[in-house]
Amino acid sequence: MSSNQFNNKKVYSVSNITSHIQQLFKSDPLLQNVTIVGELSNFKYHSSGHMYFVLKDDKSQIKCVMFRGSNLGLSFNPCDGMGVRATGDIRVYEKRGEYQFYVMQMVEVGKGALFAAFEQLKLKLKAEGLFRQDIKKTLPKIPRKIAVITSPTGAAIRDIISVTLRRFPNIHIIVVPAQVQGNEAASQISDNIKFLNKVLPNLDFIIIGRGGGSIEELWAFNEEILAREIYHSTIPIVSAVGHETDFTISDFVADLRAPTPSGAAEMTIPDMESLVMNVSLVRSKLNRMVKYILELKEQKYFTVFESLRYQNPKSKIMQHTQTLDDLITRLNLNMKHIININENILNKYREKIITLSPKGVLKRGYSICFKIPERTIIKKTKQIKKNDNIDVMVSDGIISANVTERRSVNE
Amino acid sequence: MSEKKKKDKEISFEDSLKKLEEIVEELEKGELSLDEALKLYEEGMEFSDKCMARLNESKQKVEKLTREENNKYKTEPFSLQNKDEDVNF
Repeated sequence: MSSNQFNNKKVYSVSNITSHIQQLFKSDPLLQNVTIVGELSNFKYHSSGHMYFVLKDDKSQIKCVMFRGSNLGLSFNPCDGMGVRATGDIRVYEKRGEYQFYVMQMVEVGKGALFAAFEQLKLKLKAEGLFRQDIKKTLPKIPRKIAVITSPTGAAIRDIISVTLRRFPNIHIIVVPAQVQGNEAASQISDNIKFLNKVLPNLDFIIIGRGGGSIEELWAFNEEILAREIYHSTIPIVSAVGHETDFTISDFVADLRAPTPSGAAEMTIPDMESLVMNVSLVRSKLNRMVKYILELKEQKYFTVFESLRYQNPKSKIMQHTQTLDDLITRLNLNMKHIININENILNKYREKIITLSPKGVLKRGYSICFKIPERTIIKKTKQIKKNDNIDVMVSDGIISANVTERRSVNE
Repeated sequence: MSEKKKKDKEISFEDSLKKLEEIVEELEKGELSLDEALKLYEEGMEFSDKCMARLNESKQKVEKLTREENNKYKTEPFSLQNKDEDVNF
């Protein structure tokens, strides 16, 4: 029965009903050409040229869009925290079923409340010296153990861990979960900084941070309680909040401000590969140098060794012995030569002597006569008389004879 | 004591590399006796070993810390794989 009743009622499609709601907005004169004052937040200038943002006060907020055609004439650069007065129509964005404020004109009416609070705290802490450069702690070049205070499920922790491990694999990372937006965030992060200082004082540094978001979402990092805890930490603190253009109080107090979470890892974690390369380069240079020096010294040693060997007494003796041997050889040679020459001479004389000897003459038919018994050689007839005995020597013997006559021949 | 030891190691990488570079420079100047050169070489090798040791000293470890009462805490391995949960920045 009740189902019949239900079936009898008119049924609308989503777009039918949405279009009806749109008509309600359009027919309400209050929502046409209305002017609203509020604080700009979550401002996004899309590449299409349209601007998307939220206008808010301390209780409510309304989605806004300002199309390219309308915002071209803006006399200021809108940014989060700015107070503005905007005029336009409120309509339903049917595709999403959301109502939004289509802004046609917008003027600046002063800084927003959050922005003012930021500026005020910044001035105060600066005056107290919390931002001083000379008290900033230096981070070790090669960290061993670091902590990251952030949401364990956020993009920030993923970026930090992946960049860190890519650059330097041998590192110990401790993820300390904390809310990074909302009322609890600032005190949770502060409390964890305090805790780490107490239980893990040897940490090389702590990264606190989160990914990008609106000024409200990043607000924890603009709170005084966190700023003071960063200031008091004996462990160096790296602040890595949002995008490059986001500046927070944490950034100013921290020992190092990183533009983004992954930037924090890039800045604080050394690239292991290039470190290893460095060491190996210097090391091979060292090896080359020493090899070169050794070769040089070896060369020098051989030069000295050679000259030493030259001056060794033993070597002198050897040399002298050699000279002596040489001389002896030469002497022998010369002696032989002299002997040969003399032998030749001797032979010549010998032949001569042989020719000249009386025996030779006898062979040719001459004879020698001796007077007996004196045995004197008879050269003249006068030496003998008739009947003297003589010996006549011929080549093969002696003939004894008696002189019978002597005749002298006158010349 | 371990703190002191740690401090000793702390100087090592940067300073070791610097020492190593100085030693090479010294050797490049020449004018060293063989003994001096060999001694410097030994020192240089020591420093370079120290550098390499420093780079390989720690082990990779990614942990999640959970606090407990009275300043106690426990750690467990943390992996990046829990993407199923809502990404909350």
